[in-house]
Amino acid sequence: MSFQQATTGRIRLHVLPTKRFKTFAISLFAGIPLQEDTVTKTALTPFVLRRGTQSAPETIAFREQLDEMYGAGFGFDVYKRGSSQIVQFRMDVINDRFVRSDSSLLARSMKFLGEAVTSPALEDGAFRSKYVDSEKRTLARKLESIINDKIRYAGERCLEIMCEGDPYRLHSLGRLQDLPGIDPASLHEAYAAWLAGAVLDLYVVGDTTLDEVRELAEASFRLPSTGPSEYGPPDIRRRSGEVKTVVEKLNVAQGKLNLGLRTGIAYGDDAYAAALLYNGILGGFPHSKLFMNVREKESLAYYASSRMDGHKGLLTIQSGIEIANYEKAVAIIKEQLESMRQGQLSELELGQTKAMLVNSLRELQDSAYEMIAFDFNSVLSGRRRTAQELLDAVQAVTPEQIVSVAEGVELDTVYFLRDRKEG
Amino acid sequence: MQKLHYPGVEETLYYEQLPNGLSVYLLPKAGFQKTYATFSTRYGSVDNHFRSGSQPLTRVPDGIAHFLEHKMFEEPQGDIFATFASQGASANAFTSFDRTVYLFSATEQIEANLTTLIDFVQHPYFTDQNVDKEKGIIAQEINMYSDNPDWRVYYGLIEAMYQKHPVHIDIAGTVESIYQIDKELLYLCYNTFYHPSNMLLFVVGGIDAERIMELIRSNQAAKSFEDIGEIERFFDPEPQGVREPLKSLSLQVSLPKCLFGFKEKTNGLGSAELLRRDVTTKLMLETLLGSSSPLYQSLYDDNLISDSFGYEYNCSTDYGFSIIGGDTNDPDRLVERIKEAIGEALQSGLDAAAFERTKKKRIGSYLRMLNSPESIAGEFTRYKFRGQDLFELLPAYESLTLEQANARLREHFDFGQLAVSLVLPTAEQEAEPS
Repeated sequence: MSFQQATTGRIRLHVLPTKRFKTFAISLFAGIPLQEDTVTKTALTPFVLRRGTQSAPETIAFREQLDEMYGAGFGFDVYKRGSSQIVQFRMDVINDRFVRSDSSLLARSMKFLGEAVTSPALEDGAFRSKYVDSEKRTLARKLESIINDKIRYAGERCLEIMCEGDPYRLHSLGRLQDLPGIDPASLHEAYAAWLAGAVLDLYVVGDTTLDEVRELAEASFRLPSTGPSEYGPPDIRRRSGEVKTVVEKLNVAQGKLNLGLRTGIAYGDDAYAAALLYNGILGGFPHSKLFMNVREKESLAYYASSRMDGHKGLLTIQSGIEIANYEKAVAIIKEQLESMRQGQLSELELGQTKAMLVNSLRELQDSAYEMIAFDFNSVLSGRRRTAQELLDAVQAVTPEQIVSVAEGVELDTVYFLRDRKEG
Repeated sequence: MQKLHYPGVEETLYYEQLPNGLSVYLLPKAGFQKTYATFSTRYGSVDNHFRSGSQPLTRVPDGIAHFLEHKMFEEPQGDIFATFASQGASANAFTSFDRTVYLFSATEQIEANLTTLIDFVQHPYFTDQNVDKEKGIIAQEINMYSDNPDWRVYYGLIEAMYQKHPVHIDIAGTVESIYQIDKELLYLCYNTFYHPSNMLLFVVGGIDAERIMELIRSNQAAKSFEDIGEIERFFDPEPQGVREPLKSLSLQVSLPKCLFGFKEKTNGLGSAELLRRDVTTKLMLETLLGSSSPLYQSLYDDNLISDSFGYEYNCSTDYGFSIIGGDTNDPDRLVERIKEAIGEALQSGLDAAAFERTKKKRIGSYLRMLNSPESIAGEFTRYKFRGQDLFELLPAYESLTLEQANARLREHFDFGQLAVSLVLPTAEQEAEPS
C-alpha cells in the first residue's frame, strides 16, 4: 500500500485512499533550512496561527469551528530533521458516515487548515499584537520548562554539547533570547518569507481520492506561487577529536547519563538498514545489549537504551542511574560498544532484532499518522523507499555489514547530570 | 461464543467465558496488520488488604502489585522479552490503581505470541535471588519518578485528598516498602489475584475469531487452577472532606505546578450509574474548562495558564476525583479564578449551546479513539472491570441532557471537598558545571 502523488501549485500531495479508519488524517509539512536567524520566528509562527483566521479572528470562535466538526483535532509540532526545521500541522476528523453531518467533514477540515496556515487573523497588515504577545509568553514558558523533565533536559544538553558550532545544536523551538526582539510586524514578515521559502507536503489518509484532495487543496490554500520543491541533502559531517566529557549538577535524585555518538550513516544511505540493526542490537529493545547488561545483569538502571537519528547520522544512549555508579555504567556501556565492534553478535540477537524491526515496519501500516511519518521521512531524505522495501533490506543485512557500521561509530560526547552534593 | 454487533460504531465483538472463569473478548479488525492482545487481572495498587476463600486477612507492602508485574517476565529459561523478540512481538506491562495489564503487539506468529502471553502470565517463577535483584531496578524506577515534577504534583494531589483509601499510595511503593517484599508474599498475591476468574483476555486486530477462541479454549483446558473462592477486598472507611486542603513541595522547575480537584462524597454506585457519572462529569468539565471555553481563554489571556492546562476525571466504585490545572505563575489566583467561575456556573448552570457543541466534541473524540487497537483494548478492559461496556458509550453520550450535566456540576463541585497540590521552584535554578 503506498501513497498516490500529485502536485498542485506549490504543494506536493500524498494521498492514501483507505476505508480502514474511522477518520481522515491530514498533515501539512512545511520545512525550511534550520538556521540561527530564523529558528525562533519559525517556531513562534504556528503558535500565532492557531489563534485565529481572517474569517474567525477571535480564538474562541476559531476553536468552536473544530468542536462543530465533531471535535476535529488540530495541532502542530515543530522539529528539526537533518538540516531542516519542520512545522507539521495535523488535523484529524471523523468520517461523516458515523454522524449526521450536513456537509463533508473532510472538505471543512481542509478549508480550516488552509485558512489557518495561509489566511491568519491580521491587524494593520501584521499579526494581531495581542496574539503575538501571549504566544511569545507561551513559547518562552515551553523553552524554560525543558529543565522540568530531567530525562529530556539531559538529552537536549548532550546534543547541544555534541553539535557545538552546528545549527543542529539549536532547539527546534528556538532561543529564549530572541523572543524580546520579535514584534507583530517582524513576525509577519518572517511568516511571509517562511511560507514563500518552505517545501510543502500535504498528506491525507482516509476514505477519499487523489482527485478530491487535489480539488480541496486548490480551493483551500492561498500560497505564493514560487518556492522550493525539494529538501537539500543532510549534513552528517563527522567531527574528529577527543571525546567531550561534561558533568553538570542540578537537584536530582537520580543521575542521568547520556552519550552522543556519530554513525556517519544517513536515512537515504544503503547502509541505513544495517545501522537499524546495529542500533537494535545495541539498545533499541528490551532484549538489546544495553538493557540486558546495564539493567538486567547489573541492576544499575530502570532504563538503558539507544536511539538513532537517521536524518543527522547520530546515535544517542540514555540511562538513569545511581549517582555513585557513574563510572561503572560508562564502563559497561563502552564494553557494549566494543563488543559490537568485535562482532560479538549472536544468531539469536540478530534474529530477534530483525523480527522486531520487521514487526514495527509492518505495524506502522495500522496507524494513519505513522504511515504519513514514514513516507515523509523518505520524501525528506530524497530516497523514496516503501516500508516493504526497507523491510526487505533489513531482512538481508549480514553480520559483516553490522560490524562495518560499528567500525564507523564514533563516541563524541559523554554527558552526566548529577546531584549538587560533593563528590 | 457470543457475537455482539454494534452498528453505531461498526464493530463486532466476540465473547466467551471459559469453564475456569476467564473472560475472553475478541475484536477482529479487517485490514489491520497487527494484533494487539492484553491479558489483565483486576488487581492493582489499591488491593493491599484482602483475603480469599479460607485464607487469613492479609495486608501487603506498598508497591507489591507493581513488583509482581516486573517479576512475571522472568521464567526459568530466562527473560520472556527474549521469547517475544524471537517471535517478532513487542511486549510490555503496566500496573494501575485497579488493574495489572500484560500485553504484546505483533504482525506475525500471532498464535505463538498469544500462547507465550497466556503461559507466562499463568506461570509465576519467583526465587529469593531474582526477587532481590529486582529491588535495585525498581528503586531506580522510583527515583526516576521522584525527579519528575508532573508525577509529584499529581500524586501530591491524591495524597492531599485521601486519608485512608489506598489510591493515595504510589503505585510503585517506596524504596523502603519494596525491600519488605519477598517471594512468599509475591506467591500469595499471585495465587489470589491471578486466578482466571479474576482476569480478562482481549485480542484485537486482523484475527480470525473462531480460530483464536479455539486456541485459547484448548490452552486453558490443559491447565488446572485451584478454586480460590471469592476475593474480598477491604478498604477502611474514607472520611468526608480532604486530608489536607493544600500540599506543597519544592523541586527544580521553571514555573509552579498547580493541580487541584474535588473528591467525590458519594461512592458505591452500581455500574450503570457509575458509567453515567463518568461520561457526565467529563462532558461537564470539558464544557466548563475545555480549550474553546470562555474561561480557558480568559485564563490564557491573563497569563494564568499555558498549554499544559487540562483536566481529568477518575472514578471507580469506591473513589472518584477530578484533577484540574497545570503550570502557572500564580497558583493562588488561578485557583481563585476557577473557584469564581465554578461559583457562577453553580448559579446559572452551563451554557446550553456550549453544552451541545461539547457533546459533539466528545462523541468525535470517542470515535477517533476507536481507530487505535491499543486504546480499544485498554479502555474496554477498564470499563469491563467495572461492569461496563466501552461500545455502549456512544448512546450514553448521545442521550445526555443539559439538566443531567447541571445536576452533576452541583453535586461534584463542593468546596469542602477541594484540595490543592503545588510544586514550587527551588531557590537554586541554574545548572552548574561540575
